Amino acid sequence: MQREPMPADPPAPEAGEPVSIMAGQGDVLDVALHGEIDYTNADLVGDRACHAIERDGPAVVRMDLAGVTFVDSSGIGVLVRVMKAARQAGAQYRVDGTTAPVYGQLQMTGLTDLFPVQEPPATAAASA
Amino acid sequence: MVEAQQAYRKILERIRVAGRDPELDGRRVLDRAAGLLAGRVGCRVAEAHVQLTQLAAEQGRDAHEVAAGVLATLESRAAPTVGGPRAAIDEVLRPLRLNTTGPRGTGPVSEPPGGVPVQLVQQVLDSIPGAVAWLAPTRDDAGTVTDYVMAAVSADAVDIAGRSGTQLVGITLSTAYPATAEGPLWQAYEEVLTTGEPRDVGPITYQGHGEGIPAESQISVRARRLGSGLLVTWVRHDDEARYAERVARTERLGNLGWGEWDLVSGDIYWSDQLYRIYDRDPALGPARNDEYAALTLPEDRPLHTDAAAAFARGEAVDITYRLRLNGEVRHLRTVADAVRDAAGQPLRIYGIVQDVTARETARARLADVERQLREQEETLRAEHRLAADLQHIILPIPKEPIDLPGLRVAVRYLPAEQASRVGGDWFHAAPAPDGGILLAVGDVAGHGLAAATTMAQLRHALAALALTTTGEPAELLTQLNKLMCAGQSAATATAVIARYDPLSRQLTWAQAGHPAPLRASRGVTTPMPRPPGMLLGAVPDAEYGTATTTLELQDILLFYTDGLVEHRDHSLAEGLAPVITTLDAVSKRRPEDQPLAALLAQLPPANPNDDTCVVAVRPVP
Repeated sequence: MQREPMPADPPAPEAGEPVSIMAGQGDVLDVALHGEIDYTNADLVGDRACHAIERDGPAVVRMDLAGVTFVDSSGIGVLVRVMKAARQAGAQYRVDGTTAPVYGQLQMTGLTDLFPVQEPPATAAASA
Repeated sequence: MVEAQQAYRKILERIRVAGRDPELDGRRVLDRAAGLLAGRVGCRVAEAHVQLTQLAAEQGRDAHEVAAGVLATLESRAAPTVGGPRAAIDEVLRPLRLNTTGPRGTGPVSEPPGGVPVQLVQQVLDSIPGAVAWLAPTRDDAGTVTDYVMAAVSADAVDIAGRSGTQLVGITLSTAYPATAEGPLWQAYEEVLTTGEPRDVGPITYQGHGEGIPAESQISVRARRLGSGLLVTWVRHDDEARYAERVARTERLGNLGWGEWDLVSGDIYWSDQLYRIYDRDPALGPARNDEYAALTLPEDRPLHTDAAAAFARGEAVDITYRLRLNGEVRHLRTVADAVRDAAGQPLRIYGIVQDVTARETARARLADVERQLREQEETLRAEHRLAADLQHIILPIPKEPIDLPGLRVAVRYLPAEQASRVGGDWFHAAPAPDGGILLAVGDVAGHGLAAATTMAQLRHALAALALTTTGEPAELLTQLNKLMCAGQSAATATAVIARYDPLSRQLTWAQAGHPAPLRASRGVTTPMPRPPGMLLGAVPDAEYGTATTTLELQDILLFYTDGLVEHRDHSLAEGLAPVITTLDAVSKRRPEDQPLAALLAQLPPANPNDDTCVVAVRPVP
């Protein structure tokens, strides 16, 4: 469970914004998602994250799903889309802060075998 | 009495002396007037003093000013008409006593005989501003008041019918204001006469009758006993009330002007703001009708015609119309009403004009946006229809269970309820060239036309691959994944593909990130253990595992997409529970008692926000 050092105070997401992006320390691009990520906002999230990757050329792209309450298949799809963009830019890709339901969905779709996914606390405790 | 007369004579003497003194100050004017009055009406000087001060206070005037008026009247007019002061005093003092008689126990005060005291009161009233009348009660033999005569009226007094001053003298209240007869006002008058306690009445509503009289007016009346009669002052509130309302409306609506048109006098008044609204120099005065009509946009003229007709019917007018002023169009709202007489004939028209150009512009912009939204919705609806049509063309759903060799298949497909959310769920159930049966259920991420298109590609590719390349589920998924990754779109999809061999009843299956099919066997339902495999479209070199199981005749397999169990408000496991319960119950029965169509109908309602595709299969002998 090694994590990149967190910036001291991540900025609070703007109300209703599904995504906030900031450059973290050590060439890490932090992409924090919030609320429900579904077909209504998946394109927006993907566009913003891919644009930031192209712009910053980070070494690591870290998706933070701690604020996510629900993802549908489009939400899963956008994690794949950003992964592709990160790999194309030569960046490592990983997903942190999943809740148990979201982690379950990532397992179901096989994505936990594709890139590092931080297990939710309960699962981590159970497997420890 | 004698005392008072003597005092008065003294004062009179002093007045004669002081009257020659141009430097007479206000205080002395008051003293002098009080003395004169006391002498004339037979009260004490102090009382007259108090009277004058009160009178001044009631009128909001300086006591000295009032006193000077009284003095001027008494000296310049009263004295000459009654002959020497002495004679006047003697006559005046007899009948009229100003608040010197006790309020009770003295019995009805006798009517003032002759016109002298009345004349005196009239002289006093002549000198003061405001609407004041001295009413003399008329009584029947039993002493009961039957009516009042206006014995003296101030010059400023104007009554409801527009009569003023001397025109009112001698008129009885019952003829002048029939609506007040025997009413609360008269009751108050009688009480004042009896008790001597002053009374304030109103505001009361006066119902007018007759030409030139407003149908309704608000008045307040103050009555106090004066001698044997009543000194009555009144204020009409309708002017006040209308003004207050106008101000309130001004504040409320903002940016408005008002105008009045007195039909009787022909006077037209415009407020400053009205001139501003019309961009008109106040020096020019209000616009004439023809000037005004020339500004109105021709297409709005019918509005004015309609409004005029409504006004003639007695209705208030509220119209919004356009003017062209200095090359720009202005939207004006006019609210107009009239003061009318009892017959409904307008006496005076007053109107409020508001410049609502900004509001109208905003409204037009809003209408524009709404129209665009409607068009957009129409486009979305069209897209939804197209997606649904496409899905229907690509994916005809059998209404009845279909019988394939060794396998009965039932399909339930529920498109998302909401427009634009029809997605990319699909199924496949068809015999393969090698004698097996190919089954598949899939779900393309996203909704709408793009998802439906991807769904069509996958399904057609599967059918083609099954015929030409391979019947192996894992191999088929590998090919479909390559297809997805090769495309320009970043679409992803999940799927389960199974191949059933009716001879061996063996089921070989693979999955790409998709929920495992449920197997219900003799009342026990479990998800089948999933072989590894990730969703389609992530990485081109993804590998897919294979699982194999043998079905029994009483088994039911349920392939589904996540619309059946996925919901924002509960977990997948929670969504799965009622499905498993249903399958448990159905699979307990003998195969001939478990029609698949009925099973599908019993499944819990799908997530209305998502497509749901369910395929139930059962081996048949």
